[in-house]
Amino acid sequence: MSESLVRVSFTVNGAPYDLELPPRRLLSDALRHDLRLTGTHVGCEHGVCGACTVLVDGAPVRSCLLFAVSLDGAAITTTEGLRAPDGGMGPVQRAFHECHALQCGFCTPGFVTTVAAYLRDHPSPTHEEAREAIAGNLCRCTGYVNIVAAVERAAELLAGSAGSAGTAPDGAAPGLPEDAAAPEPSGGASRRLPPDPSTVAAAPSVRPLADGAGAPPASAHPAGRDSS
Amino acid sequence: MKVTGTSTLAADREAVYRALNDPAVLVRTIPGCMRLEALGGDAYAMTVAAGVGSIKGVYDGHVRLADHQEPGSFTLHAQGAGAAGTIGAEVAVTLVEDPDGRTALSYDADAVVGGMIGGVGQRMLMGVSKKLAGEFFANVEALLSAGVSAGSLAGGGAPEPSGPSTVAPTPAGTPAAPGTVYTAPTAAPGRQPTFLQGVVVGAAAALLGALVGGWIAGRRG
Amino acid sequence: MTTKLFGQRVPRVEDPRLVTGDGRFLDDLGHDALEAAFVRSPHAHARVVDVDVTEALEVEGLVAIYTYEDLDGRTNERLPLLIPHPTLTHGRTQYALANGEVNHVGEAVVMVVASDRYVAEDAASRIRVEYEFLPAVVGVAAARAAEHLVHDDVPGNVAAVMVQQTGDAAAAIDAAPHRLELDLEIERSASMPLEGKGVLARWDPDDRSLLVHTSTQTSTSVRQALAAKLGLPVDRVEVVTPDVGGGFGVKIVHPWPEEVLVPWAAIRLGRPVKWTEDRREHFVSSAHERGQLHHVRVGYDDEGRLLGLDVEFWHDNGAYIPYGLIVPIITSTQLLGPYKPGAYRVEFRSLYTNTVIVTPYRGAGRPQGCFVMERVMDAIAADLGLDRTVVRERNFIRPDEMPYDQGLVFQDGRALLYDSGDFPASLARLKDLVGWDDFASYREQARAEGRRVGIGLACYVEGTGVGPYEGGHLRVETDGSVVVSTGLTSQGQGHRTMLAQIVADELGVPFDRVSVTTGDTRRFKYAVGTFASRTAVMSGSAVALTARKVRDKALHIAAEALEANVEDLEIVDGHVRVQGSPSSSIDLGAVAVLSNPLRYAFDEAAARATQFAAPADPDRAPVGRGEQPGLEGTDYYSPPRSTFANGMHAVVVETDPDTAEIRVLRYCVVHDCGTLINPMIVEGQIHGGVAQGVGGALYERMEYAPDGQLLNASFMDFLMPYATEVPDIEIDHLVTPSPLNPLGVKGAGEAGVIPGAAAIAAAIEDAEGITISKMPISPSDLFELRRQHASREDSA
Repeated sequence: MSESLVRVSFTVNGAPYDLELPPRRLLSDALRHDLRLTGTHVGCEHGVCGACTVLVDGAPVRSCLLFAVSLDGAAITTTEGLRAPDGGMGPVQRAFHECHALQCGFCTPGFVTTVAAYLRDHPSPTHEEAREAIAGNLCRCTGYVNIVAAVERAAELLAGSAGSAGTAPDGAAPGLPEDAAAPEPSGGASRRLPPDPSTVAAAPSVRPLADGAGAPPASAHPAGRDSS
Repeated sequence: MKVTGTSTLAADREAVYRALNDPAVLVRTIPGCMRLEALGGDAYAMTVAAGVGSIKGVYDGHVRLADHQEPGSFTLHAQGAGAAGTIGAEVAVTLVEDPDGRTALSYDADAVVGGMIGGVGQRMLMGVSKKLAGEFFANVEALLSAGVSAGSLAGGGAPEPSGPSTVAPTPAGTPAAPGTVYTAPTAAPGRQPTFLQGVVVGAAAALLGALVGGWIAGRRG
Repeated sequence: MTTKLFGQRVPRVEDPRLVTGDGRFLDDLGHDALEAAFVRSPHAHARVVDVDVTEALEVEGLVAIYTYEDLDGRTNERLPLLIPHPTLTHGRTQYALANGEVNHVGEAVVMVVASDRYVAEDAASRIRVEYEFLPAVVGVAAARAAEHLVHDDVPGNVAAVMVQQTGDAAAAIDAAPHRLELDLEIERSASMPLEGKGVLARWDPDDRSLLVHTSTQTSTSVRQALAAKLGLPVDRVEVVTPDVGGGFGVKIVHPWPEEVLVPWAAIRLGRPVKWTEDRREHFVSSAHERGQLHHVRVGYDDEGRLLGLDVEFWHDNGAYIPYGLIVPIITSTQLLGPYKPGAYRVEFRSLYTNTVIVTPYRGAGRPQGCFVMERVMDAIAADLGLDRTVVRERNFIRPDEMPYDQGLVFQDGRALLYDSGDFPASLARLKDLVGWDDFASYREQARAEGRRVGIGLACYVEGTGVGPYEGGHLRVETDGSVVVSTGLTSQGQGHRTMLAQIVADELGVPFDRVSVTTGDTRRFKYAVGTFASRTAVMSGSAVALTARKVRDKALHIAAEALEANVEDLEIVDGHVRVQGSPSSSIDLGAVAVLSNPLRYAFDEAAARATQFAAPADPDRAPVGRGEQPGLEGTDYYSPPRSTFANGMHAVVVETDPDTAEIRVLRYCVVHDCGTLINPMIVEGQIHGGVAQGVGGALYERMEYAPDGQLLNASFMDFLMPYATEVPDIEIDHLVTPSPLNPLGVKGAGEAGVIPGAAAIAAAIEDAEGITISKMPISPSDLFELRRQHASREDSA
């Protein structure tokens, strides 16, 4: 009992693919396992969580609810396609990084594609519009506060209005520009106060607190290196 | 691993008994059997293509029929090895004729499976074994229903790449001469003959074979 | 002089890979592997009568079908009971594949291996299992009533009865001027990470070794468990944690049946085997938590001070109890929060039900305890007509009473001893942040506009950084890069960034030259795992100690090379130099070369360490007694007990007078986790925890039908908050450093979720004037409560 295969051709991130797939193969599985584009993730397989969101002809869709063979002639964009030309972080991705809008990173591809499509059509959302824009994607790690900030930051980067949008060749995060402070999440969140000296219990075994602990640094951050 | 089962064949006991002991029948009815070569004394070297799920392979083995108590029981001892694993089995076969002239066959096998196919799990192995056994008995029944009987089939001869041989069929009950090779005429290596194929093959062999005889007519019904 | 990184909002090194789609989560690996699927019980309680695989045999691509009878060696034993306890007298764990009986919907009965997951599911769907139904026990009430038993040999469905007490609570309550009795309930929820569980196993027949990737919170413990179950020497088993899409506690349980079966199948079949669970599987075969029923008696004086507190509760532990009594023990002890209870007695029964197992979910029993205590505080305030913050303040342990021994045994087997915290200061900050004193007028103003708003607060204490230990290893390579590893795992907490910050500061090297590995037993073998908000405390301290060790060694080697005194040296930007004389320096890479006396120079730099390169003391051995070659070191941190973080949350909610819809308008947090290594990461952890607290207060519950069917086993019906359900979160930090570890840090991972249900319940109660004693609460629940309240008032 073997499955019959159906021919389908589509582009993914600009590259053309000609495939023969079983009709029941989901687009998410075709992208991940047939094309080895594992950036798109599967969180529920019933279209609710949004981690599998890709753009089909520019519109965000749940790839776990589509059969790959139904996409003949489509232009598909995944999170890999939203990188910068040199393979580093594209503007939406960079905004997520700057705003600490990802923790485990599993839901992030679905947000990135959703946000990219949204900002293309609505380049300057208000804070509440930014929140509404991502209200169809689940995240279990971040509590969304920083993701809303990332939508706003991405809008800035796409408009070219704040900071540099380029990346270092190896895709590592470049230092922030010398004159820019870390972006403040808006809405009054996260007031960072220096510790009140009177409340710090003196304990000789404890290292002295770092200078300005908790305050946003004024100088550039050195880039970090992820070893894996 | 113990595998047991039953099957009812629409043929009389003697016909079934002899068919099961006839290498020319066996080569056409054992699923995936490509070749049987007589070694003398009811022992045969056998080549079988078989699959357990998607673990498919070709097995070279050795089969010996023994403990003959015609027409009620006999035993079959088999050993096979291939890239996919090894099989050893001791099977006790019992035949009982029912009032309608059909044969109730029961088998009781003790099998040891090793290698890769040994890793697939007992239930899968048992399931596949029973399936193959069922196919085997159905093939035998089909052959007998098509008017073929033990000893009437051609196919024993010197090793030949394909096609029926021209050696006269061995009379029923006579052990095959050592060196005689039986091949399933239209079964290409690696293909498991289907039920329908078994019928076609049997009928064609009967037509091409030498002997029909009143023995068949006398034994029908 | 580089800026110190400790305490800075350093952007994460994990991000560039993850955000560009280059993560390596479990299902991204092993494209060449066979894949597994499971036939799981559709019944909550049944005997397995027969398994018929005939129809499945037709499926092309099928490789293997396994049931319990196929399991050999120790794989056919029950899975381990991970945390034994003397009071856990009736502990029961499951078999990897059902051995004749299933005890919850979702229990694995048959394992199928095939060429891919589609085919495996095809085969699995064709397998017919015959069951003989047994009565299902569902819910605390049914378990208590014990009309039917989950396990025949566990009377009353009681796994354990445990009592802890200080003083004579009953007497204190009876003698108190005021008394209250409360019945409180929290319903089941679950960790529900976006990525489910998964296992990939490769057996190398040449090497006779097993390599397992698993989406876990403890690779070292999985390794030990697998070696034991599969009968392999431990050093022939390696377990690697890939990128993990969230854990939140559920992935600390080990070994899952699949974690044993997938490697076992890989060895049997001689092929790599992979399994990832789908969302429904996660709902019915991973773990849940939070379901408890409490009965509380409290005695207090006219000032609202607690004199005696007696808590009796029933904890639903599901069908098996692999994680022991940790969750109810944490509830029992952390219930006390920042308060002095007077005399305290807590008794719990852990009960079996025919449902999914119960193991820690972020907070691990603290949310239930906090809910209970904070409802008690609010009830006392209401009874005495006092401000809710005033009652709490009167009961706080004061800063000068630290360290404060509550006289109980905590979940780590050590004393429940609070080491630090300034609760009055935290409360003052919270009141300021949320505008507590001004709220009454805001409430009135809203009422005039026809709106209903309310404010609530909740305080908690969290024992973090539990032992027994964690370790760190650090090596400076000859090119000056620094390679660090620790044994516990990461699921998005930014561990690699946080630990690199510590190393950069302690060792004096540039941040971007430090790379950190977590959760790989090939790199670090002795560890416990990631849970109980312990990484910063445990691995942070261990890595700091390790870096100090290596720094010390570097200085000694450099001192010889520079002919200087060790005390005069410093390491800045990866260069060891004489203070005040920066030209006299040697970089760490060169020190690394010198640290390893060589016979053969493998590159030009290495030539410096060969025998003819530099004059050496002819009478001294190149490597002295007790010394080791290489600029590397290993160290461990093991505290005598947990260190106590704390926090207070205040919430403003609005309820719709008509539809009873509940909206969180403001969410304020004052958080004390000691010194902050990376405030950005800490705040992210708080945000995530708060969202789960909101979820647990308003949306998340497991709907079990009386027959044990999980009715809402999908994201369509199990509701988690989206961005529109979580407001912007306002955070203020208080820092009372921990005296227990070299960094002064306390854990922060679970904090955000602990007081959510309590604070939101309090706010709803404030808005509505109706007592809330059960969470979560939906608009329908509130609507019904209003109706009942109105009819009670009418008849009053």
